[in-house]
Amino acid sequence: MSKKERAVAKRKKKWDGISNFFRANSIWMLMYCTGCCAIELPQAMTSKYDMERLGMGPMATPRQADVILVTGYLSVKTLRRVIYAYEQMGEPKYLVAFGPCTINGGIYYDAHPVIKSLDQYLPIDVYIAGCMPKPEAVMNGFQDLIDMIKRKEANGWRKYQENKEWYRENQIHALGELRIKDEFHE
Amino acid sequence: MITIIISILIALGILVFAFLWQTTLSGITRKIVGRYQKRYGPRFYQNFRDIFKALSKRGITHGWVYSFGVIMAVGGIMATVMFLPLFGIVPFPGVDNFFIYVYLFAVGMLGMAMSAVGSGNPLAGIGVMRALTQMVGYEVPFMIVVLAMIYGHGTSSLSELAAIQQTSGFLSWNLVKMPIGTIVGFICLLGMLGKKPFETFIAPAEIASGPMVEYGGKQLGMLMIMHELATFIEISLFVNLFLGGATPIVFGETTVLVGLSSVVGFLLKYSIVYIVSALISNALGRFKIDQVIKYFYKVPIVLAIIQALIVVFLGWGV
Amino acid sequence: MNNIIKEFVDNVTAKFELMGVDYPADLQVSLDFDQRDIHNALAYIKGAGWTQMSLLTCVDWIADNEFQLVFILFNWKNGVRLQVRTRIDRDKPVFTTITNIYPGAQYYERDVHEFFGVEFEGNPDSYKQLFLENWDDIPPLRKDFDAIAYSDRKYPARKYKANFSTEAGESK
Repeated sequence: MSKKERAVAKRKKKWDGISNFFRANSIWMLMYCTGCCAIELPQAMTSKYDMERLGMGPMATPRQADVILVTGYLSVKTLRRVIYAYEQMGEPKYLVAFGPCTINGGIYYDAHPVIKSLDQYLPIDVYIAGCMPKPEAVMNGFQDLIDMIKRKEANGWRKYQENKEWYRENQIHALGELRIKDEFHE
Repeated sequence: MITIIISILIALGILVFAFLWQTTLSGITRKIVGRYQKRYGPRFYQNFRDIFKALSKRGITHGWVYSFGVIMAVGGIMATVMFLPLFGIVPFPGVDNFFIYVYLFAVGMLGMAMSAVGSGNPLAGIGVMRALTQMVGYEVPFMIVVLAMIYGHGTSSLSELAAIQQTSGFLSWNLVKMPIGTIVGFICLLGMLGKKPFETFIAPAEIASGPMVEYGGKQLGMLMIMHELATFIEISLFVNLFLGGATPIVFGETTVLVGLSSVVGFLLKYSIVYIVSALISNALGRFKIDQVIKYFYKVPIVLAIIQALIVVFLGWGV
Repeated sequence: MNNIIKEFVDNVTAKFELMGVDYPADLQVSLDFDQRDIHNALAYIKGAGWTQMSLLTCVDWIADNEFQLVFILFNWKNGVRLQVRTRIDRDKPVFTTITNIYPGAQYYERDVHEFFGVEFEGNPDSYKQLFLENWDDIPPLRKDFDAIAYSDRKYPARKYKANFSTEAGESK
């Protein structure tokens, strides 16, 4: 590594440290509420647990969001949309998975349209345990995410970039084809 | 030459002050709204974090119209702020006419509209269409009131309009002289700010935040800066036109003390107007776009015409 | 109320060849028809006041080698719910569409076609995919479809280093 490259890397590292401070304290969520765990988000957001004091807030579109919350089981049809939404988000981006359904399928382990483990298809930064997780667990998971961003460990998006072929292969295996082809997209 | 440089420096100072002040105030307002909803609320500097985080993210582009429109929007609004008199200091003397703000403000808004439509998302198109429709709604009553005021006072310079209201204390404010006009002005201000009864073009739950739907990263950060500055312009205009501008709250012989207290007076009025509009926004639901237009062409326009007739024919409020 | 139901059932019995009548609950009647009569019967029932089609679904009687189509109809005048049922051959599941009688059946026919493979003649849209995208196996709600095998083949399970799953009551 030449002297110039090292200087660039050092500056980048410094800049990353500064921007990670802002990133850790201002997380905008995209809530993909297709599963039952979504019912725990209202308590976490409103006056009881008040997510906004961590700097988190809901956002309307994937482009604006930093973290996507996958709340529970994903069917094949919703997985295709989640992949669309995840790839639309601007980097750096994070993914928080709720409940056992995203780990091994949970109670839907034998259902024909429900995928088993989400980390085959998308990189996951934080798992939140519980079926459904209590609001305390949800808040704890978000605090973990913030700490991970501060320690520069929330690198799911980098992993997705580097191992894109592997993820793409798994996605094709489960979905057949990634493109959405329904009557609303014709 | 030196005067021009000094003017530009003052204008840049106003720009920086406007950004810092309005961003802090929106953070404080978020905290107040949090308490209003029995929450703890974010830190008061949360908006700075949001803006710098958005600027540090990687952006995407949807073509040059999209990227250029954002720059045009921020530039247009920045130019408008630089012409704005603050605490009675006019950066460019002689060019603080009210109509300058109206036209320069439109440049920024049109830049944003162009950029949003350039993103190609249908929801952005709907949002822009709604924003322009709503603009047609609130501009007409607001302009009727302001034109009546300009007719009554015989000047259209913003600093002179503010200075006229500072001649004999509280009683010379347009709030007292033209109460109906002030009500119309406040309703139109809510429409300009996009606060909740007139939040049709943002509508996160309905059209996914309208014009902002395709923005992320750098562009979103720039648009947030633009939004803060635009809010500063709108509320400054309202305070200068109706609430007497930078009126001192301490009276006496010492010019420094009076000058400082006039700064405090302006900021106090500004904060009250902004926080009240935010509280109103959090207590109400959202109109549909046709209801907004019907409302603006029914209530405020009638009040505005009554106020104009009073000023023109009875000579009250001059 | 019972008089109304009785009168209606009598009228239907007089007009069509009923294969069975049942009263599963209050204000509920189930009528079994032959599959040839069903369109005339539905048209008559709709004229008699059962204007809302609540559901069209299908039951797989694999031992009898038959599919049973169930039409649930609702009358807003007297609140009586009708289950109109008919059986079709499982090996050749073809039925004529009822969208000309109840246009709301459009999506239910797509649903039944997707999950049971019943074809509805006269409804060209019934072949479009609705819930399952890029489905590559036999229709999933047929009884001979093995969901676990499909799931294992299609979605790889997580591999654990230790065996955490234990039988109930047994502890490791």
